[in-house]
Amino acid sequence: MGMRCLLVCGVSIALPLFVGADVCKEIGMQNETPSVGQPFAFNCTFPPITFGKVNVLWYKNSRKIPVSQNVHSRIHQDHTWILFLPLAWEDSGIYKCVIEETDHCYRIHINLTVAKRSWCDNSGTSVSTLSDEYKQILHVGQDDSLMCHLHFPKSCVLDSIKWYKVKKKFLLTAWECVACDSNAISCGCDFLAERVGNGGRIPKIIYPKNNSIEVQLGSTLIVDCNITDTKENTNLRCWRVNNTLVDDYYSESKRVREGIEVPVSFQDHTFYTVNITFLEVKMEDYGLPFVCHAGVSAAYIILTLPAPDFQAYLIGGLTALTVVMLSLVGVYNVFKIDIVLWYRSTFHPNGTTEDGKLYDAYILYPKPQRDSQSHDVDTLVWKILPEVLERQCGYKLFIFGRDEFPGQAVASVIDENIKLCRRLMVIVVPESPSFSMLKNMSEEQIAVYNALIQDGMKVILIELEKIEDYAAMPESIQYIKQKHGAIQWSGGFAEQSQAATAKFWKKVRYHMPPKRYPHLPLLLGYKSGGC
Amino acid sequence: MAKAIYTPVLRHIQDLNHQVWVVQDQTLTAVPRKHSMVPATVSLIPCQYPETLETEKGIPMYLGLDKPDVCLFCTKTREQPMLQLEDKNIMTLYHHPEPVKPFLFYHSKSGRTSTFESVAFPGWFIAVCSEGGCPLFLTQDLGKAYTTDFELTPVN
Repeated sequence: MGMRCLLVCGVSIALPLFVGADVCKEIGMQNETPSVGQPFAFNCTFPPITFGKVNVLWYKNSRKIPVSQNVHSRIHQDHTWILFLPLAWEDSGIYKCVIEETDHCYRIHINLTVAKRSWCDNSGTSVSTLSDEYKQILHVGQDDSLMCHLHFPKSCVLDSIKWYKVKKKFLLTAWECVACDSNAISCGCDFLAERVGNGGRIPKIIYPKNNSIEVQLGSTLIVDCNITDTKENTNLRCWRVNNTLVDDYYSESKRVREGIEVPVSFQDHTFYTVNITFLEVKMEDYGLPFVCHAGVSAAYIILTLPAPDFQAYLIGGLTALTVVMLSLVGVYNVFKIDIVLWYRSTFHPNGTTEDGKLYDAYILYPKPQRDSQSHDVDTLVWKILPEVLERQCGYKLFIFGRDEFPGQAVASVIDENIKLCRRLMVIVVPESPSFSMLKNMSEEQIAVYNALIQDGMKVILIELEKIEDYAAMPESIQYIKQKHGAIQWSGGFAEQSQAATAKFWKKVRYHMPPKRYPHLPLLLGYKSGGC
Repeated sequence: MAKAIYTPVLRHIQDLNHQVWVVQDQTLTAVPRKHSMVPATVSLIPCQYPETLETEKGIPMYLGLDKPDVCLFCTKTREQPMLQLEDKNIMTLYHHPEPVKPFLFYHSKSGRTSTFESVAFPGWFIAVCSEGGCPLFLTQDLGKAYTTDFELTPVN
């Protein structure tokens, strides 16, 4: 009976082990290097599995028999813990705990290396042996604490934990915590480094500042996002539009791209630059916020069209106006005669109505002694002038020798009739002796002066030939030449060849008064001849 | 490809009891920090597409280890959310065009300390045992026997 029970018990213990060896999941290996002569405890825990109802057994090396659960044994299992009270050199080795629940099995290993420590003896701390000790960092200016990693099962009563400040060096301070219980003394040393902390800061976007940027349509634009953040930050920095990453938003056209993030490290913070590149600014970009994100911080830019440059428009407008004006003046100067004649023929201005004058022009001409000149003058005065100005253009001329009443004195003829004329047309020929008429006839000269001065009559000076030197001319002629200029005869002397549209006649007609309309019925029969 | 240049930030993570995250035999465990040990280098990178997530809980982050290429990931085993490591490159998750929730944690910062709440299992936080030496796990009991507040320190 007893044998059977032993057999059954043996099978019942061995079976799960046998099964467990096949299906157990290896959790991992942990290394521990506790000190010889000190108490040591290790908890077999695999959350959240070990929070539930599980069976835990500790084994040393590959032994099949679990560690004793006798509390009086130097090495024993206490619930999920394995305890060494205290550690001996021969305890080094691999230990495993097997966690079994209803249908699962887990296995955790610890690699225990028993070490000799000098820090726990009375000689104090030796820095050279601290390399394997706890490293705990305190932050300057913040509430912080050290942890005495002396973990034992609840059944072990730690009477007290005392802290001793062992050594203080530049930036480094060694502390010692000592715990006692009824069985042994446990020691641990913590080695501390101080440093400046800066937790709790949020990323700061220096630029952009929710500002607008003026940019020309079609141009290229690069905008930097400048950020400062803590060195420990894990924030994402990116550009977004419509809450979408720009690289995704423009994934097809790639017209707008996010640049490479450039971090620059400083002592207590990191400075980041992330740019956004618009290869070509389009109309749809204006007014759309492009947002730079850095963790919880965000700031945007908005593109705007540049404001119109009124000054440029003004200068351009004035320049164009000036050019137009100069062009008009130039055109007017070139075509002045044609324009005035066209105006007169089109609109028939009636500026000379009823001024008490009978004639449009008084023809004053010399009597050259040279036959050829005399003939030319006669042809011009008697034939050509009446033909063109009277017949073709409808002017009425006073020609001395044709229109005066017989028997009148020359002086009185000139004096009286000149007052009835609107223009004085003076024909001159080059040779001075031929001007005897004007030079010698003092009465006529007086009449001319009177006409000029009293009536302010306009004078038309016609050179029959080119006159090189006016010095030989009478002063009155010089004066007229200087004031009004002269028109040089350019046509031949054939009577039929004259047309009012010739250049010479246009000039003459330009200086003649505008024709008066409506005029005498006798003019209706005349050809206008282009007048 | 979006933002290929962005790289994860690397941090050591410990709690206020000076227990630091270490990788022990492919398990992420919190143990009292010692000079001799090498803490786990945790890589963190924010999710690019947080629009559909509850961002008021914190910045959605992928958490992984620098070496080996594994990421922290939440799954449910027998009605119990569990924290596991899975072979995965964190940048693969980062470039995924939508949030990969089992791998995401809301990183909420309060002063020096941070909490990591599972996005897949809201209300469940990454925790360690107060008494040390236990693998990381998920808990919904805050401010009790477990530590859920962690401090991120730069990797020197």
